[in-house]
Amino acid sequence: MNAVYDVVIIGGGMSGMMAAVTLAGKGRKVAVISKGDPVCCFSTGCIDLLATGGDPLEGIGTLPDNHPYHLVGKDAVAKALELFRGIMSEEGVPYVGDVHANRGVLTSLGRRKTTCLVPETMEFSDFDPDEYIHVISFHKMKDFYPQYITSRYPNAGHSIFDPGVITTPGIAEKFENRPFLESFLSWLGGLDIPEGRIALPAVLGKSLAGDVYREVSAGCGRKVFEIPTLPPSISGLRLFGGMKNALLRRGIDLYWGRGIYSVEKLGNRIEAVTLTSQGRATRVEGTAFILATGSFVSGGLQASMDTVTETIFDLSAYLPGGREGWFNDDFFAPGHEIEKAGIRVDASFRPVDTEIENLYVCGSILAFSEVMKYRCGHGMAIATGVAAAEACGGLAQ
Amino acid sequence: MKFDFQHCIRCTVCVANCPVFKVNSAFPGPKQSGPDAQRFRSDDGASIDRWVRLCSQCKRCDVACPYGVHPAEIILREQTRYGAGHFRPLPYRLFANNYWLGMFNSLIAPLANILTPRGFVKRVLNVFGISTVTPFPPYRFHSMNRSWRWKGRRKSRKRVVFFYGCFINYNRPDIGRGVRNLLASLGVRVVIPRQVCCGLPALGNGDMETARKFARKNARILAGYIDKGYDVIYTCTSCGLSLTQDYPGILGVPDGKKISENSYNLHEYILKLMDEGYIDPAFAPLHRRVAYHIPCHLRALGIGYPAARLFERIPGLEVHILEDNCCGLAGSYGFKKKHEKTSAKLGADAARAIKATGPDALMSDCGACKMQLGYFSGIPALDPSEILRESLKPGGDT
Repeated sequence: MNAVYDVVIIGGGMSGMMAAVTLAGKGRKVAVISKGDPVCCFSTGCIDLLATGGDPLEGIGTLPDNHPYHLVGKDAVAKALELFRGIMSEEGVPYVGDVHANRGVLTSLGRRKTTCLVPETMEFSDFDPDEYIHVISFHKMKDFYPQYITSRYPNAGHSIFDPGVITTPGIAEKFENRPFLESFLSWLGGLDIPEGRIALPAVLGKSLAGDVYREVSAGCGRKVFEIPTLPPSISGLRLFGGMKNALLRRGIDLYWGRGIYSVEKLGNRIEAVTLTSQGRATRVEGTAFILATGSFVSGGLQASMDTVTETIFDLSAYLPGGREGWFNDDFFAPGHEIEKAGIRVDASFRPVDTEIENLYVCGSILAFSEVMKYRCGHGMAIATGVAAAEACGGLAQ
Repeated sequence: MKFDFQHCIRCTVCVANCPVFKVNSAFPGPKQSGPDAQRFRSDDGASIDRWVRLCSQCKRCDVACPYGVHPAEIILREQTRYGAGHFRPLPYRLFANNYWLGMFNSLIAPLANILTPRGFVKRVLNVFGISTVTPFPPYRFHSMNRSWRWKGRRKSRKRVVFFYGCFINYNRPDIGRGVRNLLASLGVRVVIPRQVCCGLPALGNGDMETARKFARKNARILAGYIDKGYDVIYTCTSCGLSLTQDYPGILGVPDGKKISENSYNLHEYILKLMDEGYIDPAFAPLHRRVAYHIPCHLRALGIGYPAARLFERIPGLEVHILEDNCCGLAGSYGFKKKHEKTSAKLGADAARAIKATGPDALMSDCGACKMQLGYFSGIPALDPSEILRESLKPGGDT
């Protein structure tokens, strides 16, 4: 089959999906190709902008000159995040927060994570350490131990409810069932909990999270918040589900579960890509292409002993010196040099060092993004996704 | 494929996508029954994982995996290994031979259609482990294999073989005749040779030998036509998956690769004709609001949603694409008493999502989805080709 699109986006993560929505908003015909579900499914669902002391948006000014945020610009970053919030409210997963203020979110290890925008179910996660927190856990639930939290906060207690299943997707599914929700609420009402907030792992429903959350809050009359869990992370899946629905609603074509088999070039332009298949390859043709395949974890970049390669178009990747300089001795120290590896782009998000004219790059595959060091993952993905789409929207007719 | 389980990083995205895991806690999920357990399996050792039978083979895990692992395929291999070494209860034997079952019921269609909804028949079926929650579809005597076997100009440049599949053959031959007429009206020569079940039901019920027998027979017929310049058209997405992936893959059929390379989904083929400039059909407006339930196996085909791309061209037609739910019937999976609850819960969830879009009809390419969702939602369930025919009005008897 020969499918012809204005823009073909390779990579179905946050950055690719935001680029797709932006282009569809301009009336472009868009396809998104993804070899599987993206990394945001394992994430907390929170949008990290930049982990600086106070104002993350203003903090962009303090980043090194080559950081991709500078290509977007502060105002455009704020606008991109506003677009994201609009989309997610439309899909029933509203986000709260302010781009000028970071906030803390309690994690399942009892630590606070610095982030910026959070799903409404985590709004009250930014509590005062003196305040009493009551953690609700579930009998034999996998990978969630309230003791990690209660041991860190002396002013905290916990209770355990038996939902009959032990997995996060299983419990989340149960919460969408009314009799279960009622039995949970009556159990919760029967507990003698001191004045304070109530925290639960993020399992309050999958697609109906907003409704379940509001009902639990109203049912116990307290400030309730969710704690993001290890994968399968329901709050991450809600983020992905909301974005994917937004794509389908805008008539964007999805080619899921297939990698890129080959790239067809004519002169300096990419004409089409073909998808891996047992038999005849599906061919997807486009006027412009956006590369949003992510960095090492999602396979956009691949490292060998002494070099780093880009896996689809074989673009030349920036490399921070030789292998001996890639890593810090302290594994947990933020900012291993290898994080700087990636694709260098010009002001309109086109890769430098290549002849190809109709290719744009966004997301964590960009060189110098240093996502782990600056804690800017989703924020940078959203901002560069929208910006690359804006840059490419002018060219693709 | 043999070692691809080693690429699993245990991210659990497959688990989050598994419909059975969501509602049946007895199933350990695709990660544990697929790549995790595979490390302890040996081709020489006996198959002992009884729970692999709980997998419905929807392939959602295969599509979701970002690291190229195919949990469903790993489980399928184990299902057939388990099936070969263990007693297969009656429903497994019966549904593996769905083709013969359909042929028999079609022969005695009026009687079969009167008997199956009866209480005492249902009780007997239940005793034998067959679920009767979703009603059996009515059978037709005037089946596809008793219909006119060719249509369209003999000298046409575009010539196709139509692989209709058992559901269309015995239960909804009107859809099949409609597809035949539609293709003919687009200037395509359609030939409908004698053919048997694609083999997927046998494979899914752990009977590799029967599956191979069916597949070899079809392959001989289809390859003969392909050599003469014909393309193969399918509408049932599960048959399509079997032709394009299982024939060259797990079934190892001679000419499997050839069949895989020359088989097209109906809508994909129509788009191809349009792209090549062979046709420029005039789509008449349709004032309808339709929910398009994407069958799991259409997702697994990896061809996008070609019918949806055609619907975009029909003025006035409002289509809501729903791709997050499995209907739960999964061919013959939901017709087994053992899976009845899982299937019913998934069917009800999918029907709720469909009804939330307020449609006047629902659509799905897959016969099982149509049966299950039509029953659970009470909304008429159409094949995408029926909507296309409404707009293109090809005429002809169905």
